[in-house]
Amino acid sequence: MRKLFSVLGKIYRYLWLIITSPVWLPFWCIGWLSEKIGLSNWIADATMGSGAYLVYKNLTRKPLRLFLTVFATFIAFLIFGTITAFQVAFDSGVELSADDRLVTVNKINFTQPLPISYVNKVKAVEGVSGVVHMNWFGGYYQDPRQQVLTFAVDQEAMLDVYDEIIITEEEASSWKQNRQGIIVGKSIADTHGWKVGDRIPLSSNIFSQRDGNSTWEFDVEAVYTGADAQTDTNGVYIHYKYFNETQSFGGDYIGWMGVRTTDTNLNEQVIKAIDDMFINSPFETETVPEKAFNKAFLEQIGDIGLILGSVVVAAFFIILVIVGNSMVLSVRERTGEIGVMKTLGFKSMRIFRMVLGESLLVALVGGGLGILASYGVTGMINSVPNPLPTLVLNSNVITTAFAYVAALGLITGIIPAVSALRLNIITALTRT
Amino acid sequence: MTGIFSQIWAVIIMNIRSLPRRLWMSLAAIFAISVVVAVLLSFLSMVKGFQQTLEGTGSEDVAIVTRSGSRSELNSSMGRDTVNIITTAPGIAKNADGAPVYSAELYVIVDGIKRSSGTEANLPMRGISLDGFALRDQVSIVEGRVFVPGTNEIIVGAGVLREFDGFELGKQIRFGKTSWTVVGVFSTGGSAFESELWADARTIQSQFQRGSSFQTVRIRLDETGNVDGMLKMVEDDPRLILDVETEASFFAEQGEAMNAIITFGWVISIVMSLGALAGALNTMYTSVSSRAAEIATLRAIGFSNTSAFFGTLAESIVLSLLGGVLGALVSYSFMDGLSASTMGSNFTQVVFTFALTPELFQNGILLALFIGVVGGFFPAWRAARLPVAIAFQRGN
Amino acid sequence: MTNRTLYDLRAVEKSFVKGKERITVFSDLNMSIAEGDFLAIMGPSGSGKTTLLNLLGGVDQPTGGEVWFDDARVDTLSENELAQWRANNIGFIFQFYNLMPMLNAARNVELPLLLTNLSKKQRKQSVDTALELVGLADRAKHMPSEMSGGQQQRVAVARAIISDPKLLLCDEPTGDLDRKTADEILEMLQLLNREFGKTIVMVTHDPEAAKYAKRTLHLDKGEFVEKDLAS
Repeated sequence: MRKLFSVLGKIYRYLWLIITSPVWLPFWCIGWLSEKIGLSNWIADATMGSGAYLVYKNLTRKPLRLFLTVFATFIAFLIFGTITAFQVAFDSGVELSADDRLVTVNKINFTQPLPISYVNKVKAVEGVSGVVHMNWFGGYYQDPRQQVLTFAVDQEAMLDVYDEIIITEEEASSWKQNRQGIIVGKSIADTHGWKVGDRIPLSSNIFSQRDGNSTWEFDVEAVYTGADAQTDTNGVYIHYKYFNETQSFGGDYIGWMGVRTTDTNLNEQVIKAIDDMFINSPFETETVPEKAFNKAFLEQIGDIGLILGSVVVAAFFIILVIVGNSMVLSVRERTGEIGVMKTLGFKSMRIFRMVLGESLLVALVGGGLGILASYGVTGMINSVPNPLPTLVLNSNVITTAFAYVAALGLITGIIPAVSALRLNIITALTRT
Repeated sequence: MTGIFSQIWAVIIMNIRSLPRRLWMSLAAIFAISVVVAVLLSFLSMVKGFQQTLEGTGSEDVAIVTRSGSRSELNSSMGRDTVNIITTAPGIAKNADGAPVYSAELYVIVDGIKRSSGTEANLPMRGISLDGFALRDQVSIVEGRVFVPGTNEIIVGAGVLREFDGFELGKQIRFGKTSWTVVGVFSTGGSAFESELWADARTIQSQFQRGSSFQTVRIRLDETGNVDGMLKMVEDDPRLILDVETEASFFAEQGEAMNAIITFGWVISIVMSLGALAGALNTMYTSVSSRAAEIATLRAIGFSNTSAFFGTLAESIVLSLLGGVLGALVSYSFMDGLSASTMGSNFTQVVFTFALTPELFQNGILLALFIGVVGGFFPAWRAARLPVAIAFQRGN
Repeated sequence: MTNRTLYDLRAVEKSFVKGKERITVFSDLNMSIAEGDFLAIMGPSGSGKTTLLNLLGGVDQPTGGEVWFDDARVDTLSENELAQWRANNIGFIFQFYNLMPMLNAARNVELPLLLTNLSKKQRKQSVDTALELVGLADRAKHMPSEMSGGQQQRVAVARAIISDPKLLLCDEPTGDLDRKTADEILEMLQLLNREFGKTIVMVTHDPEAAKYAKRTLHLDKGEFVEKDLAS
């Protein structure tokens, strides 16, 4: 039995080293190389004076423990970076809404229709620079489960009101002229492999053609990109007229209107003007700024922010506890040495700073690596076609991340630092 | 053979008895694991609750007919004549008079103020005939009375009352230009129907300008789960562009949308458990090194290294189980029964409650156990291979 | 030859509270150490040797009386001032060496210099000199774990003298060494005393070690019994 253990143990030890070699090998190589060329000595000399070298040496006493604490920190910041990118992406729908755009829907609910005659009346309102009417098509591609966000619009006004949709002049004019033309967003185009010039079938959950068939065919006239990296490019746009003429019911009704104002200061006024026009008619309207509309829509899903935020908090709690504990333990193991340092003449405050330096360094390395990794993860998610908006780690996220790194370093280090500060020399030296 | 087991047992007891000495580190590991388990179970119970609500909503005895490809009640539509045709299909249960048992219904969306956010959210309003009540299991009026057909009276589901403002008994509500009165509150045993407002189908038709068209037909089946008769009729008749399936499978499909969240919850939990694993490993390695002298002494006395191995592994498992149970309990007390509502596939709110079932509890414990075993294995290995000579060194 | 007094303890009292009792270690201790002295302090355990050494090193403060070092009062200094004072004036040598295990010999010796304003180059020079002096120049890059007890103690000595302190305090410096190695260390201390004029106070329980000192004081229950080596 014993022999088996030792043989297995040997295999295990080396197997484990080999498997994890991508992790430690680079560090080992760097270390070996710098030792050889005297770099490590030079670095040690440079950092000795400030005490940074001591901080580093104290941390690397138990490499395994250091690895585990850095790893735990790495995980927490990987989660933070990725999830915050998600949050930003969800918020972007709201953030990127144009300030000078309003949405006019049926007052009962946005799923109720409005008469198409309302469009010209709204166009005539003072302060309105453009109106585009839109219908929800309820589109899907091949399988009812593969939903495609399809909007049947007034093709002449569409690109003027929603100018974050970027296509070339030629493509725009080509689309406007082709009744069966469709412009598709880059994200959805990549998902299904659509290119300009393709003829694609789109079916509707809601509507069917006169002959009972619920599939329409379209020519892809453009693949649009968004003005901002996070502008949604999952939507497709078709001509209202084509849809209206061929579908079997609900004729001459529109879903809602996108309204552009000449000046954001006029928004309030325009809202009132529009809604007042239709009070007491069979189709009363409710007009809201686009931002408010998008926000309300998101809120219907639930407090996503709360859920994601809770996950991040939970992750931070875990490492706080783990790393904090580790620090306390590692300082406790060194009481003798701390005592000696104090007898040599090191002031308590200096030792306090050194301990904090250790915890900050761990937080910095782990956190820094975690943020880097979340770049990688979000990049991976972005490269795979998916219905999510583009995940971006903007400067806000990065700044917040490093603020948390600093906070984490301080919190995990404060208790052991204080105990090192207050350590009585005699107690320290007489401890076994 | 009892020798090795009693050795192992003795070591386990010793390790566990000495836990209080390593109190803070052990607590840290327990805490970390409990947080991971709590997060996992919170996600899972949310999804489970949502799915249960939807699944409980459908009956195997009732078929639901929608326009082909519509995928949800909202998108569907059909004329009176279509309803008349499909209800003559074979396989449909008949009542005492020999007439088919069915309910033609409408489904519109209105706005209600969600309590939790204070903002407007979409509420489903169903146009239903009194026949429709019979087609739902467990419908009961818990307050007030049923609406009188042909009037602007509505009854609200118990879930709506919980999650939305302004739908109390006797309240007058305006949807656009139409005015309605709440005359009753109904319950359906916790299914998704409780997130709805019910009114007379004909009233909905007139108030929402629907003419004589409906959106769905619910039909009681002669034989549980058997919709073949209707499917054949749809296939044979070119006028019928319909989807027919049992209500149960219809709603089950809608629950599938939650799969993305399940994946997300698991991915997050696994990533976090890597962090907790690091903590567990840290704790166990420290535990072993702080008791190196004890363990070596035991070995010097004659305890086998197998017993040292299992003793240490047992300690890790005990800690992780404690963490798992703690996490599950916390999750249970906060989440189970928590009422929430979210947007379902109709763009309408589905009110559901978080459900932490025994099966999910198991998942949580398994995760904790996994962390405990992996986190304890290598330190246990080290304990088993400690050189006995350490027992004779001073000042460890 | 009258050397000036380096250290003067006047009516020093030291007591502390343990549970409900007040334990008095010294009640009226008077002691003078001249510059260039090599003093051994012997006594049974519990006699107060360690406490005395702690008082001399500024690691502990008396509860009464005055402590004068180099014509300045030490017992009134704050903790930070004491740290500075120790760095400038005292070198410690412990029984169990107390080297930092994660630093090599040179870095260990360099430690006290971090408290000065010397440049990198100057520090390196001092370290080299100190290691030369204790005969360990070739082991500068070795870790404590790679050295014998005697070698570690020599590194400790190098560390103790590198800032050129006036006073060396040794707590059982040869307690953990074999006879031969102990002698080497003691000879080194003698050298430091004779050639470099370092004042040394050594606490020891080993009479053989005490012989290397110029005079021996016996401490018993907090009081001195002087015993001159010469007589």
